[in-house]
Amino acid sequence: MGTPKELRILYENIDLPGMYTLEVYQQHGGYKSLEKLFEIEPDALIEMVKESGLRGRGGAGFSTGLKWSFVPKDVEPKYLCANADESEPGTFSNRYILQQKPHMLIEGIIIACWALGIHTAYVYVRGEFTLGKKRLDAAIAEAYQAGLLGKNIRGTGFDLDVYTHPGAGAYICGEETGLIESLEGKRGQPRNKPPFPAVQGLFMKPTVVQNVETLSNLPFIVQNGVEWYKNLGTIYKDTPRGVDPMNTGTKLYCVSGHVERPGVYEVEMGLTVRELIEMAGGVRGGRQVKAVIPGGSSAPVLTPYELDVPCDFTCLQMNKTMLGSGGVIVMDETVNTVEALLNLMEFYAHESCGQCTPCRNGTPWVRDITRRIFEGRGKPGDVDHLIEVANMIADVDAFTWNTICVFGIAVAWPAVSFARKFRPEFEAHIREGRPVVLPVEEAVTPPEENYAWPQTIPEAVRRPTWDY
Amino acid sequence: MAFEFTPDRWERFQEILSHYPPERKQAAMLPTLHLAQEQNGYISPEVMEYVAQLLDVSPAQVLDVVTFYPMFFQEPVGKYIVRVCHTLPCALCGCRKIIEHLTEKLGIGMEETTPDGKFTLLGVECLAACNQGPVMMVNEELYGNLTPEKVDEILDGLE
Ligand SMILES: Cc1cc2nc3c(=O)[nH]c(=O)nc-3n(C[C@H](O)[C@H](O)[C@H](O)COP(=O)(O)O)c2cc1C
Ligand code: SF4
Ligand code: FES
Repeated sequence: MGTPKELRILYENIDLPGMYTLEVYQQHGGYKSLEKLFEIEPDALIEMVKESGLRGRGGAGFSTGLKWSFVPKDVEPKYLCANADESEPGTFSNRYILQQKPHMLIEGIIIACWALGIHTAYVYVRGEFTLGKKRLDAAIAEAYQAGLLGKNIRGTGFDLDVYTHPGAGAYICGEETGLIESLEGKRGQPRNKPPFPAVQGLFMKPTVVQNVETLSNLPFIVQNGVEWYKNLGTIYKDTPRGVDPMNTGTKLYCVSGHVERPGVYEVEMGLTVRELIEMAGGVRGGRQVKAVIPGGSSAPVLTPYELDVPCDFTCLQMNKTMLGSGGVIVMDETVNTVEALLNLMEFYAHESCGQCTPCRNGTPWVRDITRRIFEGRGKPGDVDHLIEVANMIADVDAFTWNTICVFGIAVAWPAVSFARKFRPEFEAHIREGRPVVLPVEEAVTPPEENYAWPQTIPEAVRRPTWDY
Repeated sequence: MAFEFTPDRWERFQEILSHYPPERKQAAMLPTLHLAQEQNGYISPEVMEYVAQLLDVSPAQVLDVVTFYPMFFQEPVGKYIVRVCHTLPCALCGCRKIIEHLTEKLGIGMEETTPDGKFTLLGVECLAACNQGPVMMVNEELYGNLTPEKVDEILDGLE
């Protein structure tokens, strides 16, 4: 088996000048999938996507085909919302799709809408993506001109309108029901589920919300087939109940923080966290790694003992964290883990939409405990107190939340994992009454006392060989 | 003074409205507010009344939305809005130095505007460009891999 290598499929030619125009995109195979698409029956297409193993890239990793199968067939109209809100700290792969390959997203939207009998799609673009929205708007206009959107696409009788909709700077609008509320012209406050959007979403009609990267996988599945797609990535056997074994395709890993070459790395799923860090040039200045957040800021942190876990949905879930949005934040030995957590808790306290008391009040409370520990004003027992308060927002061990949306879990996960896994460093702050950066070996809770230990890696029936 | 869209923005507003079902005009709220803010600089009570009337909602509903989203301003802001990211990945890349430099250079704190009305400084959450950290936006432009020198160059080049 070779060493992991990049394999650019979604990101192929992403840096090519003019790739955001229809002309250049089509010169490089763009919209080829449509030649096959309209020959495929919508139901057969839903089956294909299910069979491909494609899982949502926006955070939850839910099977895309399965989600599609929940959409009622006999209700009109239905809507697709492409989620281009990309706000999870550490995540930046959708940005470059919008800026450089907006037509790939449009192609994916056409495929999803054909499968689901949808005639109106909205792309919810985060307000700060000014260039991305401009490029996408221009691409949509080109697609209408070329008869790829609008009425009677390519003489098939299929109609599809695609519109962009700007956000306005609120993280919670990335949550699918917050996004829907926001699209309806209201505060982006998530809804209680059920009903799920697939049944009652935008304008109370069946709605599929799908991340930009997820949709961008579709042209390749349609064009190259399910078998081709399943020959990318990792498939496990005998995973526990509730753990999806499929990690097919490539993933756009966003590596940031203390690495030599931060950036987006497109790789078949299955390489380890350590290998991914190496791919990004290793830790800057040859320093030692201290902490890694593997899936956007909401994902529980990993210690240096936990870096041989494959960076895929299944293994990260089985090791009590998640692939989430694919934002890998690397921290070296110079980092103060209390300060890092404080930064995240400031983010979450600022972004809570304020509907649920545990989240609205609990998040600033966790932030304040973290701050007082960091500033050397912590009291004995504060670390347990921090964990306890975080667990009241959402119980990370039971995986239950006392809130409307899983933002609650997104707060509790980093809080509890940092406090448990870097407890010696937290306690040192309290003991010495000032910020202290301990050497890595001393800062980390020993693996056998670490709640995420032992690491579980199931047997695989298919793994990447990287022989290209 | 009453607010109304300029003729070209009125056309853009009509285009926006056509994206949503006719009985769901409220859905045009965010794009309409962006359009209004582009013209007026901020969302004044007059703007809220105007937008409310266009979308068949109450001014209170518009206020409700405006107060929820950080990108809408209820007070006049500077000609240039400097948004500097302070979230973890940028913090790991030294954004604190950039923030200190900005506050010193502009002589204002976060959420403040220079007396000449040229700059408003805002600390914002992750801009989804962490690979280029530290980053900031000046109006619609994104700038990455910032150093104090680069910040000087960017800001000094503005009229
Ligand atoms: C607090 C919160 C923020 C989220 N932000 C985003 C986001 O910015 N982009 C995104 O695609 N999904 C985001 N999600 C996930 C969405 O709720 C939803 O699961 C996703 O868009 C579904 O698409 P997928 O199945 O293609 O991933 C967020 C979820 C939560 C709870
Ligand atoms: S958990 Fe937090 S963000 Fe989610 S609905 Fe409740 S208050 Fe809002
Ligand atoms: S943390 Fe600054 S751009 Fe992501």
